[in-house]
Amino acid sequence: VEAIVEELELRTSIDALKERRILTLSDTDLFFCPFLYMAGKYAFDPFTPREREILRRYIIFGGFLFVEDAMGAKGFGFDQTFRKEIKEILPNQELKRLPADHPVFQTFYLVGSMGGRQKVNPYLEGITIDNWTPVIYSQNDLSGAWARDKFGKWIHECEPGGEGQRSSAFKLGINIIVYSLTSDYKKDLVHHPFIKRRQNL
Amino acid sequence: MTLNQVAISPVFPLWLILLLLSLGLGAALFQYWLLRKRIGNPRAVVLSLLRLGALILLISFALNLSLRTRKEQKITQSLAILLDTSQSMDLPGTAGRGSRLNEAKGILLDGPTPLLKSLTERFNIKFYGLGESLRSLEAEDLAGLKTGGREGDLAEVIDRLADRHSMAVLISDGNLKWKDDASKRLPLFAVPLGDPKGYKDILIKSVQAPVMAFRGREVIMDITVKGYGYKGLTFPVHLKEGSKIITIKNVSLNDHSAEVTIPLSFTPEELGPHHLSIGVPPQFGESLTSNNTVGFSLRVMRDKIRILMISGSPSQSYRFMRMAFKNDPSFDLLSFVVLRTPSDIINVPLQEQSLIPLPVETLFSKELRNFDLLIFDNLPSHLYLKPIYFESVREFVKGGGGLAMIGGPFFSDEGRYNGTPLEEILPVRLNEREDYRRDSSWKVGLSRAGKDHPITRLSPDEGYNLNLWQEMPPLDGINLLAAKSSGTILLECGDGNLQPILTVGAYGSGRVLVLATDYSWKWYMGMVAKGKDNWPYLRLMERMVRWLTKDPSLDSIQITLPEKRGWIGQEMEIRFKAGEEDFLSGRKGSVSLSVFDPRGLKIKSQIKKTGQGNEYLGSFLPEKEGTYKLKIEAQANRLEEHLIIASPMEGLDALPHPERLKMISQTTGGRFLSKEDDLLKEIESYAEKKERRFIELRSSPLWERPYTFIFVLMLLATEWYLRRRWGLI
Repeated sequence: VEAIVEELELRTSIDALKERRILTLSDTDLFFCPFLYMAGKYAFDPFTPREREILRRYIIFGGFLFVEDAMGAKGFGFDQTFRKEIKEILPNQELKRLPADHPVFQTFYLVGSMGGRQKVNPYLEGITIDNWTPVIYSQNDLSGAWARDKFGKWIHECEPGGEGQRSSAFKLGINIIVYSLTSDYKKDLVHHPFIKRRQNL
Repeated sequence: MTLNQVAISPVFPLWLILLLLSLGLGAALFQYWLLRKRIGNPRAVVLSLLRLGALILLISFALNLSLRTRKEQKITQSLAILLDTSQSMDLPGTAGRGSRLNEAKGILLDGPTPLLKSLTERFNIKFYGLGESLRSLEAEDLAGLKTGGREGDLAEVIDRLADRHSMAVLISDGNLKWKDDASKRLPLFAVPLGDPKGYKDILIKSVQAPVMAFRGREVIMDITVKGYGYKGLTFPVHLKEGSKIITIKNVSLNDHSAEVTIPLSFTPEELGPHHLSIGVPPQFGESLTSNNTVGFSLRVMRDKIRILMISGSPSQSYRFMRMAFKNDPSFDLLSFVVLRTPSDIINVPLQEQSLIPLPVETLFSKELRNFDLLIFDNLPSHLYLKPIYFESVREFVKGGGGLAMIGGPFFSDEGRYNGTPLEEILPVRLNEREDYRRDSSWKVGLSRAGKDHPITRLSPDEGYNLNLWQEMPPLDGINLLAAKSSGTILLECGDGNLQPILTVGAYGSGRVLVLATDYSWKWYMGMVAKGKDNWPYLRLMERMVRWLTKDPSLDSIQITLPEKRGWIGQEMEIRFKAGEEDFLSGRKGSVSLSVFDPRGLKIKSQIKKTGQGNEYLGSFLPEKEGTYKLKIEAQANRLEEHLIIASPMEGLDALPHPERLKMISQTTGGRFLSKEDDLLKEIESYAEKKERRFIELRSSPLWERPYTFIFVLMLLATEWYLRRRWGLI
């Protein structure tokens, strides 16, 4: 994650604060962390009803949750547990595939292909409430593609696309963070002609 | 006297009277029988007849005999003289006779035998002045009589006078209210005034204009112009605000008497009340020029509050503000977020970037005036804005625009604003060095001014509002600033050395606000974390925008002006609602109304509660034409409105209408008299035909007549005398 923060500072005007905080879902300070990142490979213990309610309020009232399945394959423990939990938390909302013209693909870079350590899905999934997608779910292990050791070497190879796929992972990561801070800003009419022209539409 | 003239109405039953008469007759016969032996037959007969006569007369009183007489009487007719005194009577009458009123006075008073005098001798005269209302006059008032007010309602007058008068003489130019179904019980003799053929006038007959319009949207008005005696003339009709002509259109009249309706349109750009007028320049020979102009008010509103926000970087502050602005359908947000600075490395070709250039030149040179509010959100402006644009911002605010500066690390742009026009208009002093602090947690509280200010008064309940702000979570970052003396601090933080967090001020016609933090979004999430609602933050943002843009919906006083046009002498009523906080305060006299006439002098006005919640009814009586200023004050809130009182001559169509008088007189069964007619003769001749007589019946009871009693006494006295003489006594 440190690598994406560094890249964020290098490439964008966002002044990221590198600070480690350990929070639980029941901690009220959770609401002052408007970007939650959740990742894993395996099944995890289900949330308690109170934790589910807290997370539901957090998501409904303006928080942002980016979830990654780092397994590199579909339908394993984390994926199964997360899908079940999110259904419990937001029973009336559905995790859906985000369309290609979703603002998360346009907030900073015009992202056409999904990056990540693995290319499990050629898409992102998300829960959209009105014009805001507070939950985005990736199964391509973006953080695996971002990971560097202390000497700056990539920890994981990106398969099957190699460095191009890693580059896309960074672009998508930056887009997701910028999206969490600007919402559907890129859907404002003023951006339309520029984006269309660049996408040759 | 004949028997037919005698009538009886017995006071006792008839049988009792007959019984008494029989007893009287019996008594007389008995007396005769007694006396005949003593004084002989002839004398006894005389005395008995005398007694019988007296008894019969006395008993006959019980019959209540009376004498009836019939006499035919002639009724003197009651004649009302109705003299039109409305404002059109001040216009020239028939050539050489001054005003129409003077012409009327001449008809009544001039000549060797004045008409008024002659009518007074023959009729019961009652004299009335017919203006906006009917008023009773004496003949002596005629010489000093003046015109004024709008046309009178003749139909209503007939209703009132029909039972009191047998006919009426109407002296008028025909500018009267009349309706076809009016009562026809009072015959009218109409005497026309004025010369319709020689009358020349152009007037604005009507203006169909909305009372409210939206800025930037075309307003179309329908103007009806009427002209008399200007066939073929082309002249301009202009729309003005003060002395400034807004638009103009030419109109041609194609007949001696012509009416033309034209559309006039314009696009208002300035918000607020506009006092406009539609006018026609005075033409040569016009009889009346004061009806060439009509004034009216137009309130220009926003359809939406247009906000231009430029953010220095993507941030939570931006996202939550954006969410709040997008949440309100009356806001139209155009935002630009600086996604990369010149030093950032983007490292991809343009086709893969979604970044767009910030169109500063267009925004600050051309488009800024199309917005109501400009927000700089943590913007390192030196990177994007030329100093010349700060001048545009100053002019924008001076002209009535709103400016908000939202804090953050780049808020004061390392002191680069100092010495720029922006520094001049802000309500805070900016530091030359870095002023942003994230090293502590800053608990914010309401200042004294903040407790009542519309931005921070999120609830009408003072205690609840105070608690609300105390519950707000602390901020993680603030800009250290100092308020200028012209600034008003609404929110502050710190112990002892208080730091202004939310400061407001004014510059020119505009308003300015500084929110010295980029963590206001914590007020949103903090309340959500406590399981509460998110409305305080949303309301704060909404009220910030509305206050900065002087949005009327933020006014705690809402006024409803009368729909109909106001006239001199007509009481004007204004309904208004004080805000909840003023109403809840319940303090007596906390709401006041002041009315200022067109000269700026305060005039008498009343105010009372309507009994419907916090609604009040204000009223005043205008005595002059022009624009009246209404000032409503309620606690800390104040509202000013304007109301136009029309000139009495405005829209006055004063063409003499003899044909209307003719129609009215014929409808009522009266007669239309020309000035050449012998008016007295015509009236008398009509009156003779309508002359009414009546039979007077008089009843005179006999017992009321003294000679009846004298006669009875004489009978009794004669009897007494003869009895004495004949030695019976």
